[in-house]
Amino acid sequence: MATPGREIDWAGETGQVSRLRGVAFELACLAAVGVALVSVLVLLLYVATDALRPFSADPGWHLVFFLTLVVPTLGTAVYFYRLEEPAGEVAYATTGLPVVGILFAAALAVVLDIELVTALELFALLVATLVAAGIVVVHGRYRPGAALERLGVVVAAPVVTVFGVPPVEVIRALNGVLSLIGLPAVSGARLPSLRELILLSPVAPLEWILVIVSVTIPVAGALGLFVARRRENRRDGLAFVGGAVAATLLAPVAGPLLGIGSTGWVLAVTFCLLPPAVYVEGVVRRNEGVHGLAFPLVLVGGILLGAVLVRQFGFAPPDSWLDWQFLTSAHSRTPEDAGFYPPIVGSIMLLIVVAASAFPVGVGAAIYLEEYAPASGLSGKFVELVEINIGNLAGVPSVVYGLLGLALFIRAINMPSGAVIVGGLAVGLLILPIVIISAQEALRAVPDSHREAAYGMGATRWQVTRSVVLPQAIPGILTGTILAVGRAIGETAPLLMIGAAASVRLAPNSFSDQLPAMPRQIFAWSSNLEPEIRHGVLAAGVVTLLVVLLIMNGTAILIRNKYQREL
Amino acid sequence: MTQDPQRLSDTVSRRKFIAATGAASAAAIAGCTENTGEESEGLSGDVVVKGSSTVFPVSDTFAENFMEENSDVNVTVDSTGSGGGFKNHFCPGEADLNGASRPITGEEEEQCGENDVTPVEFQVASDAVTMAVNNEADFVDCVTPDEMSQIWREGGAEQWSDVRDEWPDEDIVKFGPAETSGTYDWFNENIVGEDYNHTAEHQPTEEDETIVAGIRDNEYAIGYFGYAYYNSNSDDVKALEVDGGDGCTEPSLANAKDGSYPMARPLFIYASESSLEEKDQVYAFLEYFLENAETETVEDIGYVPSNTELRDQNLSKLEEYDTGSSTSTE
Repeated sequence: MATPGREIDWAGETGQVSRLRGVAFELACLAAVGVALVSVLVLLLYVATDALRPFSADPGWHLVFFLTLVVPTLGTAVYFYRLEEPAGEVAYATTGLPVVGILFAAALAVVLDIELVTALELFALLVATLVAAGIVVVHGRYRPGAALERLGVVVAAPVVTVFGVPPVEVIRALNGVLSLIGLPAVSGARLPSLRELILLSPVAPLEWILVIVSVTIPVAGALGLFVARRRENRRDGLAFVGGAVAATLLAPVAGPLLGIGSTGWVLAVTFCLLPPAVYVEGVVRRNEGVHGLAFPLVLVGGILLGAVLVRQFGFAPPDSWLDWQFLTSAHSRTPEDAGFYPPIVGSIMLLIVVAASAFPVGVGAAIYLEEYAPASGLSGKFVELVEINIGNLAGVPSVVYGLLGLALFIRAINMPSGAVIVGGLAVGLLILPIVIISAQEALRAVPDSHREAAYGMGATRWQVTRSVVLPQAIPGILTGTILAVGRAIGETAPLLMIGAAASVRLAPNSFSDQLPAMPRQIFAWSSNLEPEIRHGVLAAGVVTLLVVLLIMNGTAILIRNKYQREL
Repeated sequence: MTQDPQRLSDTVSRRKFIAATGAASAAAIAGCTENTGEESEGLSGDVVVKGSSTVFPVSDTFAENFMEENSDVNVTVDSTGSGGGFKNHFCPGEADLNGASRPITGEEEEQCGENDVTPVEFQVASDAVTMAVNNEADFVDCVTPDEMSQIWREGGAEQWSDVRDEWPDEDIVKFGPAETSGTYDWFNENIVGEDYNHTAEHQPTEEDETIVAGIRDNEYAIGYFGYAYYNSNSDDVKALEVDGGDGCTEPSLANAKDGSYPMARPLFIYASESSLEEKDQVYAFLEYFLENAETETVEDIGYVPSNTELRDQNLSKLEEYDTGSSTSTE
């Protein structure tokens, strides 16, 4: 057993261990953290200073807001953190909910504004979907046993009410194929859907009324259901819905008065007022952390008081590049008029295409590879080869995906160059491997014991996948996808390849319009003739892009935390 | 939960109330309707402009001004280089207009022809190609075209002293446009000369801003770009005077206009004939472009505007493609 010529030291013999190496290693790691943090922070501060120009403000302006806003909010925050933790949670939620609400309301307002979807289309879609759902429910009630027949009804009902017989999309695709092989296009009688009939009607209610019906009532209904369950009282739920609708009906008076228009008022009430109202009511009734409600008041009060005082004393605010005008106007040659609105809209539409194309394909592939693909034998080796290649694809330079998009979508199937859909599909291809890999990780994290327990109870593979694996894996899949989409928003090279233009001044209102994108606009600004655009306006664009990214990653973290707590 | 008679009567009255308010609000909503399907008159649709980075500032400015008056027309402008624009966008039929800082080549016309795209040429302004060095480089103030050719030809001078003996024994660091650029083509043909090729040993870029940055940071650097980029960076780099045989002249709009600066060159915009005839918005934008190419706006950006004679000539050429507003707007 003993190795000749070699003595093994036992640390206990001398009673001392050298700690030097351990300490040195710890310090080296600490230094690495420091370098990483400092370099990122310096970069961010540098960009933020260029974008916001805080030093261009009167020192008095900083002093006023420091005293009215920073000191009171920090004070209350520290108080909650140290002495009253439940109140801190309430403070966090009551401040965060309206912010998220504003984002939702703004997003929907933009969608309606650029007519991506009009209020009438929203309404028609809602009615048609409800009718389809009604048909399915009624069928289920009268013929509960006919499972196969119900599958047919589930497919046919939406086709009849939403798409029409036969659907326009099918005819268009068919005609596309026919024109490729040189046959004349087909056209003939078709039965329009309920949705199309509504859209054809010569008169329609005003936009804000449609928005109340198709947005406020569903949202208020869901919240009312929640209230009714929580209080075990249907009446309170109905009263809530009634109150909500009554508040939105003030629109023709309150909207123009506040300068946000009738539709703006309806959206603001629906998203910024109703959810916090439900939350606050719950907090007051449980009488838990009520003090936290003071936080948003301190915050808003501080901003208002500061604004009044600054105007009173005549302190100049910072002349920042990132302001309301920047977020609502298009690129201009004059730095003061230059804005970022079309690229913001374009990037969000790009992300919709990216998510809609990469998510189903990526998750489907991951489910097959993890749950169905053979793991042993020759075919198992082949699956392994495929997985290695997917890993490699994740590292292929993004410019290559741009070239692929150019060759595939523009040259081969003649999609319009530089269109939103082409950019979205090219970037979707780029993040597809990342989506597959992260979804695979999420599926792998579901313990095998759960699967085996379900198999042991006689469940089929489909039942195991649907009822055991997917529910547990969905939060991980969603987090991975959102992080991947976050990467997609900053991609520039593929957009250059597919011909996204340097300056697009109209926000796209369909997916075949010319694509303005945030990173493309930033890149264009980097070579502008005006130094102020290269330095100031560009920095404001970078900060906006980072904020959008922060919101997306924050959402990913929230989803993960929420589900982790439940599991 | 017990239900007392009081509450029951409440329910009944509420039902009546709901019916009454329902009828009233139906009447109210009937009043609150609007007519759908209103279509606004006027121009709409896309105008896709690609091409030269030199022409880009002009096209971009005109696009902005044009869209202030025609808010439904989407004029998108991109800077791809003259050759890049012809090859990748204009000739495949994906662009309506292409800016160019040199005339179209035969090869490009052939490519356009294969795709049934007929280019229509308009000269819109002139530019002075500017040769620039670092601000610290006080040894050089004026060069001749032949010296520039020595510097920029393949296998030419590597050190400054190779060109002129009194210049320092330092490597020449070259920053220039990429091959897709019309400025490159013009310089290659007119200055480097037909007997030589343009050097490949320079930092090529489609972004003129990068050339300026490269020259600013390197004492022995040299590079060239359109006058507009020098105009907006005149503190960062030093422009060289050029001696075309009649003494040294500095690059300026005035010198380019009167012809005394040897490196003045025309700028073009090419329109696709089918776009002009089929898309009213393209015709309208080009008309606006040609009318305004003669104004001070062009001079403010840093180019020599066209003259009234050229403008009228362009406009009458454009009128040949006027099909009236009877064609459908997209």
